[in-house]
Amino acid sequence: MPVLGTSVLGKPILRKIACAAVALLLGTAAYVPSAAEAQDVISSLPRKETLILENPEGTIKNAGWFNIWAINAGGQYTGLQQLAMDTLWYIDPEKGLEGPIDNSLAAEAPKYNADFTEMTVKLRSGIFWSDGVEFTADDVAYTVETQMKNTGMRWGPILSLNVDSVSAPDPQTVVFKLKRPNSRFHALFTVRFNAIWIMPKHVFEKAPDPMRFDFNKPVSLGAYALHSFDPEGKWFIWQRRDDWQRTTLGRFGEPGPKYAVYVDGGPPDKRVIAQMNHNMDVVHDVAPEGMFTLAKQSKSSRGWFKDFPYAHPDPTLPALLFNLQRADFQSKDVRWALALLIDIKAVSMASYRGAATISAIGIPPTGTHPDDYHIPMQDWLKNFELDTGKQKIKPYDPTVGKQIADMLRPSMKEQIPTDQAAIDKSFGMGWWKPNPQAAQELLQKAGFTKRGSNWYTPEGKPFSIRVMVEGESRPVITRAGTMIAQQWRQFGIDAKTELAQGTMLDRRNSGDFDTLISWSVESYGGHPDLAYFLDSWHSQYVAPAGKPQAPRNYMRWSSPELDGIIEKIRGVGFDDPRSIELGRDYVKLAVREMPTIPLMAYNVFVAMDDTYWTGYPTAEDPYANPVPNWGNSRYMMVRLKPRGE
Amino acid sequence: MKTYAIYLAKRLLQFVLVVFIGINLTYVISHATPIDPVEQTISALTSFGNTSPEAIETMRESLRELYGMSGTPLEQYVSFWSRIVVGDFGPSLSAFPTPVSELILRALPWTIGLLVVATVLAWLLGNLLGGLAGYYRKNRLLKAMGLIAMGLHPMPYYVVAFVLLVVFGFLWPVLPISGGSGIGVGRGFSFDFISSVLLHSLLPALSLVVVGLGGWFLGMRALVSNIVTEDYVVYAELGGVDRRRILTSYVMRNALVPQVTGLAMSLGAIFTGAIITEEVFGYPGIGSLLVDAVHAGDYSLVLGITSVSIVAVSLAVLVIDLLYPLLDPRVQVE
Repeated sequence: MPVLGTSVLGKPILRKIACAAVALLLGTAAYVPSAAEAQDVISSLPRKETLILENPEGTIKNAGWFNIWAINAGGQYTGLQQLAMDTLWYIDPEKGLEGPIDNSLAAEAPKYNADFTEMTVKLRSGIFWSDGVEFTADDVAYTVETQMKNTGMRWGPILSLNVDSVSAPDPQTVVFKLKRPNSRFHALFTVRFNAIWIMPKHVFEKAPDPMRFDFNKPVSLGAYALHSFDPEGKWFIWQRRDDWQRTTLGRFGEPGPKYAVYVDGGPPDKRVIAQMNHNMDVVHDVAPEGMFTLAKQSKSSRGWFKDFPYAHPDPTLPALLFNLQRADFQSKDVRWALALLIDIKAVSMASYRGAATISAIGIPPTGTHPDDYHIPMQDWLKNFELDTGKQKIKPYDPTVGKQIADMLRPSMKEQIPTDQAAIDKSFGMGWWKPNPQAAQELLQKAGFTKRGSNWYTPEGKPFSIRVMVEGESRPVITRAGTMIAQQWRQFGIDAKTELAQGTMLDRRNSGDFDTLISWSVESYGGHPDLAYFLDSWHSQYVAPAGKPQAPRNYMRWSSPELDGIIEKIRGVGFDDPRSIELGRDYVKLAVREMPTIPLMAYNVFVAMDDTYWTGYPTAEDPYANPVPNWGNSRYMMVRLKPRGE
Repeated sequence: MKTYAIYLAKRLLQFVLVVFIGINLTYVISHATPIDPVEQTISALTSFGNTSPEAIETMRESLRELYGMSGTPLEQYVSFWSRIVVGDFGPSLSAFPTPVSELILRALPWTIGLLVVATVLAWLLGNLLGGLAGYYRKNRLLKAMGLIAMGLHPMPYYVVAFVLLVVFGFLWPVLPISGGSGIGVGRGFSFDFISSVLLHSLLPALSLVVVGLGGWFLGMRALVSNIVTEDYVVYAELGGVDRRRILTSYVMRNALVPQVTGLAMSLGAIFTGAIITEEVFGYPGIGSLLVDAVHAGDYSLVLGITSVSIVAVSLAVLVIDLLYPLLDPRVQVE
């Protein structure tokens, strides 16, 4: 019997297939473009005049919408808020071009009446929208009135809550009459990350419904106007306005890049690849390991710091937040015991691979805050005493930042600074010294008991703590939580990490957690006022258990003493030096009570490639925030120069 | 003819039933998600911006009303079906007020273009080579292909995708690694746009073909290996029938029936997109849209995409069921 399949009949067919495959391969190999040719897909723009930045919002589903005042109606960080929007004031988290505070559309600082129920703003003249219409006080009044009428708009509720009336007595003056005293009302029009952006009255008044108006093509008040965008939401191109002098940025000179392109960078690994191929000039953030790779393999890339720890510390403070409405965490002795079981050096290594800027106090160690809070409070922290019930200890160790630097030096060598001031700036100052003995005494003081190797609550139940973390979408924070849970477990507490993934925000807001790693502290960075986050910590806003908690007091801390501090801050002006003293009172109270365990600044590994552009803001020249989705990152445009100039 | 009509009616009824149950299940599951789109939106608004706790409550109420989340669950369910029967999935919650149908229609051509080509190509190549390998079992080249297919088939897709990404995006950077077309390339029936789309689809398509081909190859080879031992094939050989004819008409055609079913199922499943492919390569298709919608708790969009997918898969199965009797005379309607 013939054996099937041994015939040579198939060979011509196979030969044809093989020949076709070889031809295809040869054809592909013949066209081997360079990385730039293959991946630098901005074929329609001159690369040397184009700055490419990552938009961390990713892909914008409704890319054709630019109505930033309506909720979810298009992207925000597509360059829209950075380059096309403008408002009254900006605060830079760093030093700023001419100081952290910039009077942008406003000609000067706000003027309040004595009881903070009226705010008058003088506006700049000679500022024009990109369609040639002059910006006036009517635009500001229209912005406020339109959003007050539509509480479904982004800033509608907060304006309705505060504003009784707004008027424009002349084109350069706006007067706000407030429903109740508010010494920080102007903060709504002050960019930290964003703010209430000013609407073009002449465009929106023609739209039948401002909430369902796409604002495409957007009329710009910034130095750039929309050039083109991807309908699939992957990229947005902005072009420098010919009349850039007639914008508020024009005071600082001509913006360098003619084109700025904001692109969806994809997953972290792809962003690293894109920058190594010089196809992404400014990467918003990568994993620490990605930054280390860039620093090692790409000569043209650098972070905020030239060397380790590279990252830009955002004025945001990740911390371990207790759910203070749960019985186990209502005693400050328990909270302090848990703090003294944490070895922050191990947490820094696990989370940021050592590239963290630690903070023992509830204020981010960034911008001007160290000068206002961390440094002046060192003596107080060193002398701070904790009564464990059996002894009094001084838990603060001012050398922890230095210890982290020393720990990293053998592997990172000369990249680790030796100067103490540089170490403080890079790695932070001190933190709480691990003290298991004191932790044991504090737990016993709170009625907890140890049987065998396990701890039990005063009710006799195993002391169990779930540390909620976000999961793979925020790996650095997740690793911090895992390390803390491990350290508590080693002490005999039944601690486990809990990956919340996409449910994190819902569970945080509804109080469905024991502890979580998140942030309830966000500050200006470039200004000492703490009301930005602290006002929301007043006990008047604490929701009952089971009800959603409004930002940012997710730990639901309720303290009459804190209320007193907040109320005093409300009574003093934004720039009043007394607010710093009150801020320090908050720090002292928070140290005593430990409602959260502050960990470190939210370090953003922004990576900048100087192949095409130079003059990025850096730790050595901190003239602006480099993180490209922040509104105040616009200031870097005027200092960027094409390489070679 | 009458028998076929009864068969058709039964299959149509099954189709309607499957679609109805499928969409209801999706409705229940998507509404049971612990992710609340209002809370997601509020968190996104407040995580960076200045706000006040008092304003949040007003915002929460406004959003619930705007998103159609006010009313009892029954009212919401009735409203959902009254809209969906006319093909209206309502507005997307995370891209408000853009209609869900608009978002799906924008993403669908990308997914269909990529996946239809990749699926059909993998199917054709896999079945052709698998058929040849099953028939010409001693051919060294085909044996080698069999080994490669066996090696590739069990590999997790994302590993293959990342390997391709690193090889062609970084080590030998000859292909674009992200997006559906080049930055700044204008839309339209132009050489620039079409070539850019083709270039951008190469890596994702290659990854799908590489992984998909192995399965079809192995399946077809196994089927053909069985069929070649059937008596009728042996008799055909002995009878001196041309071997190429034996392969195409006697062996491959018989082996194709289950493969065609598989192809129909694969094509139907295209409507959920190749989620990992689109995520890895940043491809602007329906898979990426679905992932975004799930993360944002945008159940309008999730429902829209899954409903389209349920209808598409059911329709594909229906069409195959109706075509079976025509494809293979051995299959009877009853």
